[in-house]
Amino acid sequence: MLLSESARVTTAQESRFRIHYPNSKPRAVKVIALDPASAALIDEVAKLNWNGAAFFKSLSFESTPGQTVKGWLNDIAGHTSDLASEVAQADCVVVIAGAGEDAQSVPLIAELCNEHHKTLVALIVPQDGADDHSVDVSLKALRPYAKMLVIAHGRDYVEAMLAALRA
Amino acid sequence: MLKKEQNELVTQTGPGTPMGDLFRCSWQPILLSEELPENDCPPVRVKVLSERLVAFRDSEGKLGLIDEFCAHRGVSLWFGRNEECGLRCPYHGWKFDTTGQCVEVPSEPAESGYANKIKLKSYPLIEKGGVLWTYMGAPERQPAEPEWEFCNVPLNQSFTTKRLQENNWLQAMEGGIDSSHVSFLHRGDLNNDPLFKGAAGNKYNLADSKPVFEVVEAPGGLFIGARRNAENGSYYWRITPWVMPSFTMVPPRGDHPIHGHFWVPIDDENCTAWSFDYHPVRPLSDAERNAMKDGKGIHVKYVPGTYRPLANKDNDYLMNREAQKAGRTFSGVEGIGMQDASLQESMGPICDRTKENLVGTDNGIIMARHRLMRAAKALREKGVLPPGLTAEDQKVRSAAVILPPDQHYKDAAREALIAKPGVKQASV
Ligand code: FES
Ligand SMILES: [Fe+2]
Repeated sequence: MLLSESARVTTAQESRFRIHYPNSKPRAVKVIALDPASAALIDEVAKLNWNGAAFFKSLSFESTPGQTVKGWLNDIAGHTSDLASEVAQADCVVVIAGAGEDAQSVPLIAELCNEHHKTLVALIVPQDGADDHSVDVSLKALRPYAKMLVIAHGRDYVEAMLAALRA
Repeated sequence: MLKKEQNELVTQTGPGTPMGDLFRCSWQPILLSEELPENDCPPVRVKVLSERLVAFRDSEGKLGLIDEFCAHRGVSLWFGRNEECGLRCPYHGWKFDTTGQCVEVPSEPAESGYANKIKLKSYPLIEKGGVLWTYMGAPERQPAEPEWEFCNVPLNQSFTTKRLQENNWLQAMEGGIDSSHVSFLHRGDLNNDPLFKGAAGNKYNLADSKPVFEVVEAPGGLFIGARRNAENGSYYWRITPWVMPSFTMVPPRGDHPIHGHFWVPIDDENCTAWSFDYHPVRPLSDAERNAMKDGKGIHVKYVPGTYRPLANKDNDYLMNREAQKAGRTFSGVEGIGMQDASLQESMGPICDRTKENLVGTDNGIIMARHRLMRAAKALREKGVLPPGLTAEDQKVRSAAVILPPDQHYKDAAREALIAKPGVKQASV
């Protein structure tokens, strides 16, 4: 019997001919810690090898004379950069929050993501012993803004997720 | 994406592999009861987790699942005569009982005790909810019987099928937790399939093809919530549970039966896709049952006399480019089950995950892989049993609910996500 094309091409033998050229360019992932607990976590994560992921430990805001708020990011080496331009250059923005921590900066980050059409992913990484209530507080704060919201226990998930995204 | 070694770790389930050990911690569905319909019926070949076995129901109704090959000179016991409480090899007449114990070696004097020293490997085989289940791990760790709701409701409330899927289990299972493909691949079926259409929730699905996701860990695995806008600022949530290693459920629609899947490895390049439908509180109607038999919903039509789908790779899945162009189907393949299977088989027998480009919304899949690898490692290195083995882990349900914007589905729908006898599913 003559095999159909689908039957012929789905063998392990034929799978070997999938071409070995890159099918994507490196993407810029910006990882922003929203609170000190997350900053400590990011410090550790940043030590691994990444494909250009940028890690920011804190952010601050400044009201400009025109009443607009400007955000500044501090990276792990202590350099400061402009939040708006980091978001503009990003392919994906990941914010990391501890449970129950202050997530006040999220609306501003989300607004910039919206403006530049970037996906905002939020990870809630509860500290050891964090209760459901504090997780809930974070969920409420982040839900309106994130396209994907994940509650993940432990640093290993943050690393796994960034690796999966080729960050 | 995964590294090559990670991809091998999660996809290989043969004896002695870490993921194989993980699958060997729980009961796996392997046969439909209809495959061994009566005492002394013909034996059936079974390949599961890369092990070739033969199943039979003896003269007293006892179920056996034993090594497929006769201990004498290796004949397949599929040719065996199922008679007088044992399976007799047709070559030289050696006979084995349901535990694999050899009970007769005709060439040797019975008094010699020769048969006592011959025993084929066997696994326990139990029947529950119209399905035969086996446990292939260490006897001292055998868990309690499976408590999935679909196999605990009365048989007239459920309908279960299986089909051969010609690719690795993981790429099939990943389809089960990937809520974002529904708005594309199955778009045409929401309005047409008799087991999907007419639900109030469908309009939210069709109106909003860019859902927002929330992934949370559950004791047995994950809950993946997909949210779309509903009226007055509220959200329409579809919540998919995944229980380790390979149980997934589809969120319900209206009063249609709820459904879900088990993805059980046959070997590393094939799996059995189990599809079950059940209604927690009422018998299935004749119309529903007939639609399921006719391959509607998540079920498929078969090549007669087999569990291979009628649309399969040998006939290019009966690809209909005209229907694709006209938008009756999104991919050109008919039927929800085969739409998924055809695309997953097209990835090749084992998907090369080193070449993927995942996006933020793939976090459900990323998390599931991560938890599988973590559990396989913990089992291998520390002997920690994986999640998903207890009745509590297994008594989960999918749900579709409308909630105010500030409520976490895991709390607000807590009750809805627990399978309770006599309680209707939460559905929109
Ligand atoms: S769009 Fe998802 S696999 Fe091609
Ligand atoms: Fe699907």
